[in-house]
Amino acid sequence: MSDLDPVIHAAARLRITATLGALPVGDRMTFPRLQELLDMTAGNLSTHLRKLEDAHYVEVTKTHQGRTPITYLALTKTGRRAFEDYTETLRNLLGEQK
Amino acid sequence: MRDHENPDAPDDDAPLDPAEMLALAERQQRAVGLSYAKPVAWMFLVWGVAWMAGFLLLWSGYAEGNPWFTIPIAVAGVAFGALIVVSIVFSAIVGARIGRGVRGASDFSGAVYGISWSLSGAAFAALGIGLIQNGLSTELASLYFPSAYALMAGIMYLAGAALWQVRSQLVLGILLLLIASVAPFFGAPTNNLVMAVGGGGGFLIAAAWFWWQLRRQENR
Repeated sequence: MSDLDPVIHAAARLRITATLGALPVGDRMTFPRLQELLDMTAGNLSTHLRKLEDAHYVEVTKTHQGRTPITYLALTKTGRRAFEDYTETLRNLLGEQK
Repeated sequence: MRDHENPDAPDDDAPLDPAEMLALAERQQRAVGLSYAKPVAWMFLVWGVAWMAGFLLLWSGYAEGNPWFTIPIAVAGVAFGALIVVSIVFSAIVGARIGRGVRGASDFSGAVYGISWSLSGAAFAALGIGLIQNGLSTELASLYFPSAYALMAGIMYLAGAALWQVRSQLVLGILLLLIASVAPFFGAPTNNLVMAVGGGGGFLIAAAWFWWQLRRQENR
């Protein structure tokens, strides 16, 4: 299990990464939409997003729509690769054929 | 790092075993996919009902149509129009909600696809009006319009299938093209019955198949 990326190897962060990884490359998701798809509290989601951002897996873009601030989240290239590597490592561990 | 400060935290921070983690990732990605697919199933259902009911009403508007009862053609026309307008409004609202909270590279495809429905709808209408102004009879117009819209919808579903790699839209698109091109050979008003059963039925079968697929995925 030592090969498993510790940044992703936590249920909450794996679900965040999987959700953002389901978006086509070049798309980003608002914080509330991500929260809705994950059914997590805003505080919990923020905490995990910060860890993913610190690892440069998630890119946070802050913008405005009128006067309302909007936060967009997307996987970075590194993050997407890390997610793919992580699931591949799991599959190898489980002895699944690719 | 919170999970180092409090390793016993009973929250979702804790890793599970590999099989569970893989299942978690797959389940989550399926949930994202489902959030996109579910509204499409609703759209198919609404359009199926609108086509089935609407074209059956039109068919019943002609004395030589529905053998059981006849309704005034004006009433049938208005009811048909109302069903289509309701379906368009429903689709526009639901369609706009599908991509809510997501921005970026796919914006262009989504916007072009959405606008293409209105643009091609207007173009087919203009063509019909142009033909009427040049002497197209009411009977021929009643063959043209249903087929024109079924052709348009068929082509749009083919485009949708190509854009989002959805097989159900491919099947529906081909079916609509087939119905649209075959219906005029039955003559008016039987073409409306062909539209109701083939087109409406096609949408309803697509909706049912989609729901069945979604249920299967949800229960995995």
